[in-house]
Amino acid sequence: MNRYRFSKWSRRLVLLSWLLPPLATASPLFGDENLQIHGFLSQGYTHTSANSWFGDSSNGSWDFRELGLNASYRLTPQLQISGQLLSLTAGEMQDGSLSLDYGLLDYHFASFDNWNLGLRIGRVKTPIGLYNETRDVAFTRPTNFLPQSIYFDKVRNLELSNDGFEIYSDLLTDWGDLLFQGGMGKPVTDKNVEYAYLGNDWQGELSADLFVFGRIMYELDGGRIRLSATIADGDLNFDPGPTDPFTDGTIGIQLRVLSLQYNAEAWHFTTEYMQEDVINRDLGVFRPDKDSAAEGYYLQLAHDLFSDWEIIARYDVSYLDRNDRDGTKQEAGPFGIPAHNMFAKDWTLGLRWDVTPAFMVRGEYHWVDGTAWLSLRENNPFQTERHWQMFSLLASYRF
Amino acid sequence: MEKRQDRTAGIPDKDSPRRFPLAPVLLLVFSLLFFPSPQAFALQLITHPDTEITEINRSTARAIFSMRRQVWPDGAAIRVFVFPDKHKLHKAFAKQLLGVFPHQLRRAWDRKVFSGTGQAPDTVQSEAEMIEIIKKTPGAIGYISKDIRDESVQILEVE
Repeated sequence: MNRYRFSKWSRRLVLLSWLLPPLATASPLFGDENLQIHGFLSQGYTHTSANSWFGDSSNGSWDFRELGLNASYRLTPQLQISGQLLSLTAGEMQDGSLSLDYGLLDYHFASFDNWNLGLRIGRVKTPIGLYNETRDVAFTRPTNFLPQSIYFDKVRNLELSNDGFEIYSDLLTDWGDLLFQGGMGKPVTDKNVEYAYLGNDWQGELSADLFVFGRIMYELDGGRIRLSATIADGDLNFDPGPTDPFTDGTIGIQLRVLSLQYNAEAWHFTTEYMQEDVINRDLGVFRPDKDSAAEGYYLQLAHDLFSDWEIIARYDVSYLDRNDRDGTKQEAGPFGIPAHNMFAKDWTLGLRWDVTPAFMVRGEYHWVDGTAWLSLRENNPFQTERHWQMFSLLASYRF
Repeated sequence: MEKRQDRTAGIPDKDSPRRFPLAPVLLLVFSLLFFPSPQAFALQLITHPDTEITEINRSTARAIFSMRRQVWPDGAAIRVFVFPDKHKLHKAFAKQLLGVFPHQLRRAWDRKVFSGTGQAPDTVQSEAEMIEIIKKTPGAIGYISKDIRDESVQILEVE
């Protein structure tokens, strides 16, 4: 298999990331306090008892690598420009090619004592739940793999970022802060979206229309309690090729997420619940019109040990169709896809060690029942095993 | 160079940036010996002397140090300076003056820096360095122990 596959862009980014931190630290010396450069570099190892996840994992896979480099510049006190380059290697799902993760102008046009208002234009990260905006930065994630019920890696690009705009505002009160972000844009889709919603990479193209998104968050005491509600709504349009079995139709998607987090000094409890409506229209006889809804949630408890270690436990549940949670209808259907491909229940136990503030190592073990979040690009659904385990080890450096 | 000499001329020796800051270090050592809890430090917010406001409420202070406020009421850029995450003064500052845990600030900064929605604060290593940088950076805000009196920076009261 493609072990140690390392694209030329990944190599260049690794080189850059070793050269840049000294420069970034030195930038105030050059008198430019308006410039900041940051980045990250992670390498993961994944071993599964069966099935494939982030590469040929049943034989042990190193095909999990995250490289990012960003710069931000304050043009005026109220105007900031920023961008991040990302190279992600994730088995058959991501090949390490370089992409623009975000690239935007942020204009903070009104700022008052207890509220502010601003606008971001360009490629903007989609605010979904608690973790989406920095999902590729291992330091900001609770585990090596985010709970797949909500932060699906097999269709990450639908959630990742939008080409469009967002308005943001926050209101500070004596009883907590209200933070709002909302906007419109075209999600930056890729082949994984086509695999997830149409089961293959067809000759034609599945592309995203304008999506509308919004998230409102309540924070008490600067984040001791965080409560949020997210919505994202839009259509995917299929433009069929001559040999494709589907016609010129649409898949409507609406994602709704509720999140709650409680942070004590050494304890962190987090839970999120998600529903995603998937509405198929005019795709032809092989994909009759149908309204279905995926559903997922997780409960997570983390505890800081001493000052540099964290132990974490999580139970994460995904259903691809909430009216067919155990998958029996799917199995009885025309394609006879085994029932366990319609759900996944994942128990995770992890341990993180912050060796230095800039270097972190994390190991975790997953016990999984079901294969709902595995990618069809890496697995044949008729050959997946229902009960499987995964071990993941990841080292990450940031600056 | 000339300017710096002028500015430090009227300040007691202990605050000279060129000398080892013995008093705060001794205080720190004694505090550590007798009061292992970070609550033992009394802290104050300080700003560049030209900053117009002299009073701030806690939620605005929290928004500034979470990097969610970029400008002062007069339109000048806010420049935030902090000690490293594990520094005793930083821990005490976060808990006492802002009412948050240091890890909450770190997470807020990471969310800003890696989503393109803001920048991280600049880090200084000592109180002498903090005073020095605050007094020479327009729009700067930081914090030091309460028992340090330095007239070259302005004290910002938290309501």
